[in-house]
Amino acid sequence: MSAGPGRRLIPAYLVTGGRTRPTGPALDRLAVLVRTDTALAPDTGSEQRRLCELLEPGALTVVECAAHLDLPVSATVFLATDLAASGHLHTRPPIPSAGGTDRSLVERLLVGLRSLH
Amino acid sequence: MAWIVALAAVVTAVVAVVRSQNAARDAHVAWARAELAERQAKAADARTVALTDEIRQLARKRIPAAALALSHPSAPVPGLREAAEIDGGSATLLTEAVQAARAAVVEERQRVDAAARAAMRGTSAKIQSLLNQSQQLLHELQHEYDDPRILQLDFRNELALRRTQATAVLCDAWPGLARQNSPLVEIVLGAQSRVAGYERIKVANHLRDEWLAVVARAAEPLAIALAELLANATAYSHPDTDVQVTVQQSGGRGAFLVIDDAGIGMDDDALERARALLAGPSEVLLTELGDPPQTGFAVVGRLVVQYGFSCHIEASPFGGMRTILRVPAHLLTVLQDDPSLSALAPKPVHAHTAAPATAEPTAPAAAEPEPAVEVRTELPSRRRRAPRPAGVRSTPAAPVPPAGPPAPRTPEQAEASWAALQQGTLSGRSAPAPAAPPASEHDEDPNARNARNDEGDDET
Repeated sequence: MSAGPGRRLIPAYLVTGGRTRPTGPALDRLAVLVRTDTALAPDTGSEQRRLCELLEPGALTVVECAAHLDLPVSATVFLATDLAASGHLHTRPPIPSAGGTDRSLVERLLVGLRSLH
Repeated sequence: MAWIVALAAVVTAVVAVVRSQNAARDAHVAWARAELAERQAKAADARTVALTDEIRQLARKRIPAAALALSHPSAPVPGLREAAEIDGGSATLLTEAVQAARAAVVEERQRVDAAARAAMRGTSAKIQSLLNQSQQLLHELQHEYDDPRILQLDFRNELALRRTQATAVLCDAWPGLARQNSPLVEIVLGAQSRVAGYERIKVANHLRDEWLAVVARAAEPLAIALAELLANATAYSHPDTDVQVTVQQSGGRGAFLVIDDAGIGMDDDALERARALLAGPSEVLLTELGDPPQTGFAVVGRLVVQYGFSCHIEASPFGGMRTILRVPAHLLTVLQDDPSLSALAPKPVHAHTAAPATAEPTAPAAAEPEPAVEVRTELPSRRRRAPRPAGVRSTPAAPVPPAGPPAPRTPEQAEASWAALQQGTLSGRSAPAPAAPPASEHDEDPNARNARNDEGDDET
């Protein structure tokens, strides 16, 4: 009768508010979220409030926020884009991976640093 | 002699007259008898015709109407056509025939209904178990892939699960799921998530006790009942209107969940019927639920009987209906130190109203997540720097001392103490230092000099 672990009580899709995709630009799971200084409206939902409280001490990536909130990334993106649209968060796309680093640039930088010494 | 003849003639005449009179009387009696017999025969015919008519009435009208009235209580059931035309015994027998037919129909209906319920119970248990499995898979997928369509799929799955579960409950099945003691607010949100149009449902948490919970055995049934009531509220109200759910706590009388919609309302008949179903009748037949079956109130009624909730419905001041579901005190408990209330659970309203007053609502809440994180995860997690205050110089924080005792020390504290040390040293060196005679250097401990030499060695 019992099928695996019990049915979870609160599903993640509740934060989407019935929307099929987030409003606003797509957010990568490594996009960085930064809290702005704007105060939250009193009727802000508790999940948005929690996300803002989470970012109060500093910036976090979307995937880290998702882990703290115990939500999937796809659901956290809905929250973050909403808060970004209302001006409570800044979002910054992730820094591209280091694959394209110019080796000669790094070497010149190293030479410059040595010559400073 | 002549008088003798005359006498004889008279006697004869008299006799003749008497005879003829007798004959006439006999004839009259015979005629009267015949007439009586004829009348009796006519009456008997009339009775037979009347009885035949009553039997025809019984066969064609009364028994079908009595059977119909079982499923449509408002349908009229005709009685005898002409009660005066047949005798009392026949009338009683005819009425008994109607009652016997009715009893037979009732018995058969119950037997068929029980068979249908058993069949649906088996099927829905199977489907429910499959849907639970797919829900588990969807849950795993959600954490693996970032496609929002998985969330939609999960929602569809949840809708199907609710339908199946409601059918199962209606068919006298166990809700099919055991839970722990669950916070009341989470149960409300869980019920909300099972309803199409859940985004219109606004939950206001007026609990005094944030950790008020429903005991394990009543948790899932309460979620089912509430989901059915919410489904009614959203289905029968305009898509632009909100459905308000207020969660209240009431001293010794348990907790109240008040659902207000601004919908079309119900007429008196429907309201009466809804109240009858919500009161928890001993038996609800599937055949009585209409086509398509309207299961909502019937499901709530069954759970009300089985678990001791109570439910009341009335016209709402918002224009639609107001439904009040009471959870009795013996089904409630308070969770002790369980910090893992869902991020989605709305905070109690009094906390919300207090927050703007203090202008810094994060003070108590900001302290909360950190211990929660430290307690919950065994793995090391990245710690963030606070935005650095502009005044403090950013000096490279020398080697961080190995923290021997596990005193929790933030990077900022370490930085501050090392910066203080460095500034002290710098200010000490830059001071003119007239009091220190040069000889004092010679008094120095040789170890110290060695130490400094070591440092020098390190520097080269």
